[in-house]
Amino acid sequence: MTAPLLKVDNLCISAPSGPIVQGVGFTLERGRTLALIGESGSGKSMTALSILGLLPPGLSHATEGGVIFAGEALPLGEERRMRTIRGKRIAMVFQDPMACLNPFSSVGSQLDETLRRLNVTAREVRRERSQRLLTEVGLPDPPTILRRYPHELSGGQQQRVMIAMAIAGEPELLVADEPTSALDASVADGIVRLLADLQRRHRMAMLFITHDLAIAARLAHDIAVMQRGKVVEIGAAQVLMSAPRHPCSTRLIGARRMLGAPRSPAPTTIESRVLVANGVSVDYAPRRLFGRPFRAVEDVSLTLGAGNTLGILGESGSGKSTLGAAIAGLIGISGGCMTVLGQERTQRLHTLQGSRRRECQLIFQNPYGALNPRLTIAQLMAEPLALMGVAAAQHTERTTVALAEVGLERQHMMRYPHQLSGGQRQRVSISRALLCRPRLLVCDEVVSALDTTVKVQILKLLKRLQEAYGFGMVFIGHDIEVVRWISDEIIVMHKGRITDRFAAAEMEADERDTWTKRLLACTRVPSHSPSTAHACG
Amino acid sequence: MNLLQDIAFQLARALMQAFAIMVIVFLLVRVTPGDVVDVLAIEGDLTAEQQEVMREELGLDRPLVTEFFNWVRQAATGDLGQSLRYGRPVADMVGNALPTTLTLAASSFIIGLVLAFSTALTATMTQGRFTTSLVNLLNIWSIAFPTFCVGVAAILVFSIWLGWLPVLGAMIAPVVIIGIDNAGQIAKPLFEELREAANSAHVRTARAKGLHPVRIAIAYLLPTAIPIALALSGLILAGLVAGTLTMEVLFGLSGIGSLTLQAIHGRDYPVVQGAVVVIALGIVAINTVMDILHRLIDPRLAR
Amino acid sequence: MSLPVHPDTAPAHARLPFPSGASVGAVLVTAILVIALIAPWVVPYDPLYQNLLAINTPPGPEYWLGVDHLGRDVLSRLIMGSRTTLAISVGGVTLAFFIGGCLALLGLALGRVSERLVFGGIDLARAMPDILLALLLIVALGSGAVPVAIALGVSFSPFFAYVARTAYKREMAQDYVRAARLFGGGRLHVLLRHVLPNIAGGLVTQAAIILPRCIVTESVLSFLGLGSSPDAPTWGRMISDASRFIEQAPHAILAPMLTLVLLTVSLLLVGDYSRARLDPLRGARNRQGVMP
Repeated sequence: MTAPLLKVDNLCISAPSGPIVQGVGFTLERGRTLALIGESGSGKSMTALSILGLLPPGLSHATEGGVIFAGEALPLGEERRMRTIRGKRIAMVFQDPMACLNPFSSVGSQLDETLRRLNVTAREVRRERSQRLLTEVGLPDPPTILRRYPHELSGGQQQRVMIAMAIAGEPELLVADEPTSALDASVADGIVRLLADLQRRHRMAMLFITHDLAIAARLAHDIAVMQRGKVVEIGAAQVLMSAPRHPCSTRLIGARRMLGAPRSPAPTTIESRVLVANGVSVDYAPRRLFGRPFRAVEDVSLTLGAGNTLGILGESGSGKSTLGAAIAGLIGISGGCMTVLGQERTQRLHTLQGSRRRECQLIFQNPYGALNPRLTIAQLMAEPLALMGVAAAQHTERTTVALAEVGLERQHMMRYPHQLSGGQRQRVSISRALLCRPRLLVCDEVVSALDTTVKVQILKLLKRLQEAYGFGMVFIGHDIEVVRWISDEIIVMHKGRITDRFAAAEMEADERDTWTKRLLACTRVPSHSPSTAHACG
Repeated sequence: MNLLQDIAFQLARALMQAFAIMVIVFLLVRVTPGDVVDVLAIEGDLTAEQQEVMREELGLDRPLVTEFFNWVRQAATGDLGQSLRYGRPVADMVGNALPTTLTLAASSFIIGLVLAFSTALTATMTQGRFTTSLVNLLNIWSIAFPTFCVGVAAILVFSIWLGWLPVLGAMIAPVVIIGIDNAGQIAKPLFEELREAANSAHVRTARAKGLHPVRIAIAYLLPTAIPIALALSGLILAGLVAGTLTMEVLFGLSGIGSLTLQAIHGRDYPVVQGAVVVIALGIVAINTVMDILHRLIDPRLAR
Repeated sequence: MSLPVHPDTAPAHARLPFPSGASVGAVLVTAILVIALIAPWVVPYDPLYQNLLAINTPPGPEYWLGVDHLGRDVLSRLIMGSRTTLAISVGGVTLAFFIGGCLALLGLALGRVSERLVFGGIDLARAMPDILLALLLIVALGSGAVPVAIALGVSFSPFFAYVARTAYKREMAQDYVRAARLFGGGRLHVLLRHVLPNIAGGLVTQAAIILPRCIVTESVLSFLGLGSSPDAPTWGRMISDASRFIEQAPHAILAPMLTLVLLTVSLLLVGDYSRARLDPLRGARNRQGVMP
C-alpha cells in the first residue's frame, strides 16, 4: 500500500471572530472520491479552499495543522510555491460558474490562457487541445463555444467550461466545491455524471464538497461528515449511509429518508375550493418601449381545496414563482380567469377586496428579504396586527402566542432579523403570515435556502399548522422530494406551461411525462457502490 | 440592443444634452439683473436715450425665444456673436483662449489618470497598509484641499519663500495641482472596485489555475478598472473644469476660465454664453465618446 | 452620472487610518460651530474697522492673527467669516437635500412617466458641470449670501435625487414591501413604514458627504469673486482678497486657508465615523460577508 495522495492532518483555520475549522483530518487515495458533506457554516468549503492556499483575506491557517500532498507538505502560505501546484497537480471547480469565469474574455481565450500556463507553447496545439477538452466535457460544437463569452452560455455549459479548464492540466487531485448547487436539478445531474466519468477515466482523486447527501452517495467512495468545523464521522459511503453512528450523520440521513419515503396522503375531503384557475396566463411588460411582452405563464388551469396542498414543481425560469405571485395577487394576470377564495380576479383588479385580501398570504424564499432589517421581531409582528386593526395593547400577547406556535420564544421578540438563524427567520415569516388567519397560503421555495435538517423541521411545522388551521397550500419548489413529501397533488411546470399533473403518491408511476422522469432520476439515492453507479451513468 | 442602435442612442442623448445646455445658459444669462448697457452707462455716463438706442442695436429688446433661436442658429455656424466690450467675435476670443485651457486640462488629466491607476493597482495587488493609506490620503486631499488653496500655498512656498518658479505664467504648478486633485477624485472608487474584483470568484479561479499575479492584473483586474474609469469620467471632468477655472485665475493664465470670469464681471454676456457653452459642449462630447468606448469594451453590455 | 462617494460599497473603516481622528474631528467641528454661533460676542475687534496704521501687521500679541492689507483684524474676520461660510453651506446642503429628495420622491411615487420626466430632466441638467451651473446661477441671481446658497442647493441637488432613487428602487423591490402589501398595507403605509425610514439614512449620509464639498465650492466661488458681499466676509473671500497681497501679508491668507482645510477634514472624519456607527445593517452585512 502506497502513501495516500492527500493527507489532511489536524487542519485548523481561524477567522478574527474565532476558529472556523478545528482539527480536521482525513486521507484520500489516488483514484478515489471523498465527499465532504455538512450544512452551511460547517467549514467544508474553507477546508477545500485551504488545500489550494486560497483562503479569503483575514482567515489564516493555524500553525500546527498540515496538508500533505503526494508525500510532501504543501507550502500553504507561500504564494509563489503554491502557484506551481495549482492548476497543474491540484485543480479546483467552484460553485457559481457565472461568477467564476472572467466576464471580459471569451471562453477560447480563457482556455488558451490555461493551456499557455501549462507550457503548451504552440498556438495551434492549444487551439486543438481546447477543442478536445470541450468535447471531453460534453459540449457540442467546440469552435462556436470557444468564440462565446461566459454570459452567453447557460449555467450548465459554464460549469462544463470550468471543468474543462480544471482537467486541462491532468491534475492528480480535483477539488470540487459545491459544483452543482447553483444549477437546476437536471443540469446538476449531468455535471455529476460528467465528474464521475472524468474521475474514473483520468484516475484522479476527487474531493467533492456538497450539502446534498444524494449526490455524495452517488459519487463518493468515502464520506466525511462535518459539523461546526470538525469531522464528526468518516467512513465508506455504503456503510455510512446504511449505519450512521454520529447523531449529526443520523440526522442528515434521517431527514433524507423522511423526504424519500412518501407520506401517507391527507384525507382529501374537499368541502370548499379556495383556488380555481382556468387557462391563466401572465405576461411581463416589455423591457423596452416597443418590445414584445414576455409570457411567463401560459394556459395554466388548477384547483385547490381547503386543507389540501398543491405542489408546483419546476426548474428556474419555469414560471412557477410568477404563478405563485399571481395567485397571491402581487401581479396581475393577462388572460384566463382565476377565482381565489370565492372572488374572481380580473386583469384590472388583481388584489382581493376587503378583509379577503389578507386571507391569501405568501411566504417568500429568502426570509431575510421578507423581514425589514431595521425592525425588531416584535415590530415586524405588529405590522400585520396594526393593519388588521388590532389594538396596540394586545400586540404583545398575540405575538407571544403566535411565536410560541412556531417554536420561538419571548426572548426572540427584541431581536433584529440578522440576529436569528435562517430557520428562525423563516419561522417568523410563517408566524407573521398566520397572524392574518389565511385560508390560502402560497409557499414560494420556502425551504430552498435552508439546510436539510432545518428544512425538514420547517416542512413538518407547515404540515402541522395546516392540520390545525385547515388552510389550502400552494407549495412551490424545485426539489422533487420536498414537494412530494408535502403535497397531495403535484403539477410540473416547464417553460410556463403545465407539462404533467398527478397525485403525490403516484409519482413513480410509468405514465409520467419524460420531463418528470428526468427530474426524478436526478434525486434517486443508489443503494449500490459508486463504481456501478458510474456504469449506468 | 446592437452596437449601432446603442451609438445612435448615445448621440441622440448628446444632442438633447447640448440643447438643454444652450437653453440653461441662455436663460440664466438673460435673466441677469442689469445688462451691459447699465454697466456701460455707469462707467461711460450715457443718457437714457443713448441707452435705448444701444439696447435696440444689441437686440436686447426683442422677445427671448426669437433671440434664443437666432443665437442657436448662429452658434451652429460657428458664430457666437460679438463681445460687447471689445467688439471682437466671441469665437475668436474663445479660440485664442482654448489652447491654454486644453493643454492645462489634457496634461493634468493624464497625470491624474496615471497617478490614480498606479496607486489603486498597487494598493490592490499588495493589499498593504501603506498603499491603502496613500489612496485614502489622495481621496481626503482632493475633497478637503481645494485646488485654489493648494495653488495659493504653492505660490507662497515655491515662488515667494523659495523663489523657484515665476509667480505667473508657469504651467507646471497648475498641472501638477489639478492632476493630484483628479487622481484623488477617482483613486478611491477605483481602488474599491478593484479590491472587490480582486476578491471576486473569477480572480479566485484564476489563482486556482495557477496564473501569475501580473497576468491576473492585466487580464482580470484592468478590464474591470477601465469601464469604471470611463464611468467615473464625469467626476474627473467636473474636477477638471473647477480646477482649470481657479488655476487660470490664480496663475494668470489666459484660458477660457479667466475669459469667462472677466466676462462675468464685465457683464459681457455674449462672451459668457459663448465660453460656457463651448466648455459644456466639449464635456458632453467627451462623455459621449467615453460612453461609447465603455459599450465597446464591456462584452456584457452587448445584449 | 457621478456620485462623489458610494456609501453602500465603501467599507466604513477603510477611509479611517486612525480611529482617534474622528474624535479630534468632532471636537474641532463642535468648536468651530460654537464659535460661529457666539461670534458677535467674542470677536476682539470690529471685523470691518480699518486700522490704517496697522496695515499688514504680522501676528502678534495685539493682533493674534495679524492685520490684512486694509488694516482689518484677521482673527475677527475669520470668526465672523465662519458664521457666513457655515450659514451659506449648511443652507445650500439643506436646500439640495429638499430639492433633490422631494423631486425624486415626487417623481418616483407618481409612477413611471413622472419618474422618466424628472430624472430625464436631471440627467440633461447634469450635462452641465456643477461649478459652471453654480456660476451661471449666481450671475443670474446676483451676488450675496442667499443667491450663493440657492446656487449651491440647485447644483448639488442631483446627488440627493440619485441617492433617493437608488434607495427607493432597492426598497420597493424588497420582499418585505410585497409582504406588507399582502397584509393589506396601502401605498402610504409602505412609504411611511418601510421606504422612507430606510431611505432617510442614505440621504443623511449623503448630506454629510456633500457638506464639506459645499463649503469648498462656496469658497471657490468666493475666491472667484462671485460669493457674498464684502461686508459679510467668508473664508473664500478672505483668501481671494488677500491673494493679491500674498507677499506683504502671507498670514492674512494662511489663516482662512488652514481653517478651511481643518474644518473640511474634520467634517470628513466625523462623517465617515458616524456613517459607520449609525448603520444598523452593519452587523447584518458583516454576517453575510462571512457566510460561505
